[in-house]
Amino acid sequence: MTIALGTSLKIRSMIYIAAEPIPFFWPMRTFIHHNPLHGLENMSFADAVEKADKLFHGRTFLPRKIYQQYLAAGKINRSAVEVTIENFVKTKDQIEGIDLTKWLMFLLTEMELPFVLTNTVADADDVHAVMSGNSVRPGTEIDINLLEERLREKLLGDRLVYEVVDTLFGTDIANELDELVIKSCLDFFDEGQSVWEMPGREQGFFTAWRDVAKRNLRFFLRGFHISRILEMADTPEGIIAYVMQQLGIPEDQWMDYFTRELSRLHGWVGFIRWRTSAKHYYWAEQYPGDLIDYMAIRLTLALALLNSRKMKRFAHTVDAIEETIQSKTVEAYLRHELYGKGILPAMAHRVSGVLEAGNEKQLESVFYQYIAAKRDDEARHQAARFEKLAKLSDNSDALKQLGAHDIARLQDIILDFEQQEGMLWLRAMESKAIGRLMNGLTPVSQDQDSQPKRPFAQAMFCIDTRSERIRRHLETIGDYQTFGIAGFFGVPVSFMELGKGGETHLCPVILTPKNLVPEITAAAPQEDAAIPVLERALHELKESVLTPFVTVEAIGLLFGFDMVGKTIAPQTYNRWRRHMHAEKPSTRLLLDKLSREQADSIVRAVQRAVIVKAVQHEFGLEPEKITDDIVRDLREAALGHQPAAGIFAESLNLADEQAYAFVGRLQGVYRINGDFAHRQIEQLGRIGFTLDEQVTYVGTALRTIGLTQNFSRFVLLVGHGSTSENNPYESALDCGACGGNHGLVSGRVLAQMANKPQVRRLLSEQGIDIPDDTWFLPALHNTTTDELRLHDLELIPPSHLVYIDRLGNGLVAASRLCAQERVPSLSIDLDPEMDTDTAFSLAQRNSMDWSQVRPEWGLSRNAFFVIGRRSLTEQLSLDGRAFLHSYDYRVDPKRRLLENILTGPLVVGQWINMEHYFSTVDNDRFGSGSKVYHNVAGRFGVMTGNLSDLRTGLPSQTVLKDGLPYHKPLRLITVIEAPVEHAKQAIEGVVAVKRLVHNGWLRMIVIDPDTKNVSLYARGRWREVELPIDEYSSSEELLAS
Amino acid sequence: MMEAVKLIIIGIFLPLFPLSIIFNVVFERLPYPALRGVVLLAWPLVGIYILHGVEEPLPDWVIIWAVSTAILYAFRLLAVRQMGLWIGFLATSAWSLLWIALNGGVSNDFPYLLALGFSIPLALLALLDRHIELRFGAAYTDLYGGLALTTPRLAGVLVFAVLAATATPVFPAFFLLLATIVNASPGVVVCLLLTWLLWAWASARLLQGLVVGPIVGEKIQDIGAGLSWLYAGMFLLLVVAGIYLTGGLL
Repeated sequence: MTIALGTSLKIRSMIYIAAEPIPFFWPMRTFIHHNPLHGLENMSFADAVEKADKLFHGRTFLPRKIYQQYLAAGKINRSAVEVTIENFVKTKDQIEGIDLTKWLMFLLTEMELPFVLTNTVADADDVHAVMSGNSVRPGTEIDINLLEERLREKLLGDRLVYEVVDTLFGTDIANELDELVIKSCLDFFDEGQSVWEMPGREQGFFTAWRDVAKRNLRFFLRGFHISRILEMADTPEGIIAYVMQQLGIPEDQWMDYFTRELSRLHGWVGFIRWRTSAKHYYWAEQYPGDLIDYMAIRLTLALALLNSRKMKRFAHTVDAIEETIQSKTVEAYLRHELYGKGILPAMAHRVSGVLEAGNEKQLESVFYQYIAAKRDDEARHQAARFEKLAKLSDNSDALKQLGAHDIARLQDIILDFEQQEGMLWLRAMESKAIGRLMNGLTPVSQDQDSQPKRPFAQAMFCIDTRSERIRRHLETIGDYQTFGIAGFFGVPVSFMELGKGGETHLCPVILTPKNLVPEITAAAPQEDAAIPVLERALHELKESVLTPFVTVEAIGLLFGFDMVGKTIAPQTYNRWRRHMHAEKPSTRLLLDKLSREQADSIVRAVQRAVIVKAVQHEFGLEPEKITDDIVRDLREAALGHQPAAGIFAESLNLADEQAYAFVGRLQGVYRINGDFAHRQIEQLGRIGFTLDEQVTYVGTALRTIGLTQNFSRFVLLVGHGSTSENNPYESALDCGACGGNHGLVSGRVLAQMANKPQVRRLLSEQGIDIPDDTWFLPALHNTTTDELRLHDLELIPPSHLVYIDRLGNGLVAASRLCAQERVPSLSIDLDPEMDTDTAFSLAQRNSMDWSQVRPEWGLSRNAFFVIGRRSLTEQLSLDGRAFLHSYDYRVDPKRRLLENILTGPLVVGQWINMEHYFSTVDNDRFGSGSKVYHNVAGRFGVMTGNLSDLRTGLPSQTVLKDGLPYHKPLRLITVIEAPVEHAKQAIEGVVAVKRLVHNGWLRMIVIDPDTKNVSLYARGRWREVELPIDEYSSSEELLAS
Repeated sequence: MMEAVKLIIIGIFLPLFPLSIIFNVVFERLPYPALRGVVLLAWPLVGIYILHGVEEPLPDWVIIWAVSTAILYAFRLLAVRQMGLWIGFLATSAWSLLWIALNGGVSNDFPYLLALGFSIPLALLALLDRHIELRFGAAYTDLYGGLALTTPRLAGVLVFAVLAATATPVFPAFFLLLATIVNASPGVVVCLLLTWLLWAWASARLLQGLVVGPIVGEKIQDIGAGLSWLYAGMFLLLVVAGIYLTGGLL
């Protein structure tokens, strides 16, 4: 089967569009927080969660029971709930005798489970009959046509063909298919975890899979006719078209069908989507594979499973299923009840028996009995809920007076209410949080903002919520001033670490850095330490195919010692192990752009070094015998500047042919040739920043946070990172603004730039006058241990060394206080009043304990994003729940800096917030479940158990505590301190943020420090809110969103 | 002729397929859990009693027949979702093994205790079956599940009863099966091990279908603490009996 190019393109575009609701999944090495519903952000939040419910089958709000607990604990205002219920009731016609407000209030606060049951055969008449003490209608009173219609709706509406087959015939094709697809993905996308790799991967996903599948003995034995399907077309698009036609799916429904197929394994699909879009991703370039390949494989396997031997007697195309529903409605209904798990347990055995026997008379008889029993069961359960709610509302008599019609109306009203319930609770929670935040803020007007005295030190921290605590403590213990800025300090850097071959992008994933910064050693060359060499050897032994069997016998005990050490005394053992490794030498960053001469010189130096090594290696010559003349001679010959290497041949007494052959090897194997040298020069051109770029980056960073004067002696640039053992999610705890890496390098980059006299001179011309005695100093905030460690101390001018002790003491004190505040929250077993020593020590242990599933809480409980001066929040303890971005609107008359903050940090903050929200409300579906069961897959993700979808969200240990939410799922409450018009125009100017605000994906508030006016965006417009906000009576403005 | 009739009657009480159908039909139709328990306890005892009256050695084909019956019913256990039926099939599979135990070397000092080693856990399961029926309408796997969360005591007792009934160490049935294996011919040993494997697999499926899973629907009342302790006492007694009595079989 050959399909036209147009059809092929149509299928490709359909699949790409169909995949849009599924978010990217970045490899775990650089965990990127993302909104699981990012693809639905063009819809309002309320609509998107409703769609997500259908698409991903995930819960989008917490269960009612948890909200009830929040209400009881005062985390939600009762008055807020009452106001919303009253507003809802106003939109409905009243039912005589029923106090609807009271009913709904009791429903929300006293009943744990949903009130309205999904009744299939009982209606209001039956419920009324039960409440009146009568019997429900008999089973024979059932409208078969209506039943058929409902079955058609349920089974042929928005379900995949094999899902319907599973529901009707009790097969397990859907899970079996997922397993087969996961295995195929694991084989193909592996990034070096497997010792034996899938053959032919360089040909692409579908082609490689097809070649293997045709020879797969297990498929053959199970009766899968894979080859027959694959013979039908040469291209993945052709296969897709063929399978869709075979399944009988009309072409106008293909796209929806593709979306449903893709959403079954949204982790893998998200990864493939990301991989396809990633530029210069090594594995994607080597082994290309896209969603078209994925879909072709999935559909081929699906059809093979449906056509397999054991499926022959079942209907498995859309037409056949439709025919079954129409001609065997009774049987189809009973099958759907039994295998769809909706059956009454008491009749399950009987129904199963008659379905197996296949006797039509018996089927009919059991069907009517079943309908009667089901109707009675449904009506009784629904009636019981009516009676319970009426009793709670002290309205039992009124309920008894209601006729069947009123019961139906009441049921409809409550159903409508329950459908809106999630948003109601969410708004009520948010109104409480907004009230507490706004009442704690202290906006300072221009008149009040006096010039403070010069602080001892200023520190720029990442906006990360974990910085809030340590900033607060640092400010309280001494003369420190702190600022919040995105952790890459506004400088996108591609970093090449000493001893590593690859580049790491240190910036948010939405940016691509242009400038390369290599790290170079400032110490003498070192010999390889023995221990790392031994460790490498052990790893190779472990990863080989046969050697593990011998390795375990021979040196297994060594691993035992390692295990005991890590488990019993992780701190002491890790300290001891660290001593065995050579320390990383002192390094510098190559920050300045190279001139053409410098670049040439570097290339020459590299070529010389390679030639020396080559001669040593191939001719066994001692270094002292390889003279500069020999090297020069070889180099010139290899670059084609002279015909032969005469001096070299003469020195080593080689024949011309031998010398010629060696020069050839230098050109080919050692890549000493003109082309490669040219490429090296180009690569070197990426290194560093021009002076103008450096001035721009430093100036922008300082202006963004409003630090343009009153510089102190030390300006700390504090990046952050985490340390933990045995934790695939480690990068999720690192700096998101640095692409899921440690933020230290970014701090070092900006410090090195800002300390440069030329940069300061040019900044001074722009009005930023940095005093000569100001020194920018990089530091790292370890968020697991709370330590603040200074770096590049060897570069500090001697005049500053006398202050280092005081600075160090201040940082240690802040770290200890921060640990004391934070560590008790990690477990309920910990003493909330623990002293600083214990807390600090426990934090250290957590970072080294390989059995610790929760080394820290990370960004859990994030709720606020404040853009403004520190004076706005300095009186308020935000418990590590706020992203704090410093901003002074007075230095940003054109709003460009604010727009930058909204475009980058705020959007990333919203991703983080939504990732936490959805991982909390449904940890199984949107989160990644418990870490305890995780296994690393292909070196880029984790799976639950040995085979599952890639787990995309956050693990339960990050958002739940003892099974209950630790993270409070709220939409990000954003506050901008600026004149209202100034902020509004900035928001309107950034399309992505405007969309988030208008669609209710975050709550936006603007506070004018001069007028103290507060504006909140809700239900399509800005609303004025009076300060202080009464926390106990929520206004309509706060509840609207 | 008389001996043949006796063997057929024994084949009903120490079930051999297709005579085993009689027990399963009777057991399925018994309405009361207590009566089911009594039948489970008494049925194999009758068989053993009659078997003692057989003077001639058992022909080899009976052993093969018994082993085949055990494997057949163990295999059928895998597909059964209703717990009552599951208990009946397990009883059939387990009792058919008594032919081998009593015929080949296993101590005959306490023949009735051997049968009770299998039957008591099954009788306890039959009582638990009723508890589940009362709460959910039927003890049927893969429909509601989540007993571990909804009714943790009932789930705990159920798990132990299933383990005891499927010859898990250190319950009496385990020692009995072990003794039978030690004394059996290699071919029979393979069959016995296969039967044991199938029991373990089937028990895992049963427990997975009933005990594991999220809470669905309304709150369900758990069994009382007193009753849980009573069951726990029974299990302890079984363990002790297993170690002191059937443990000595080896």
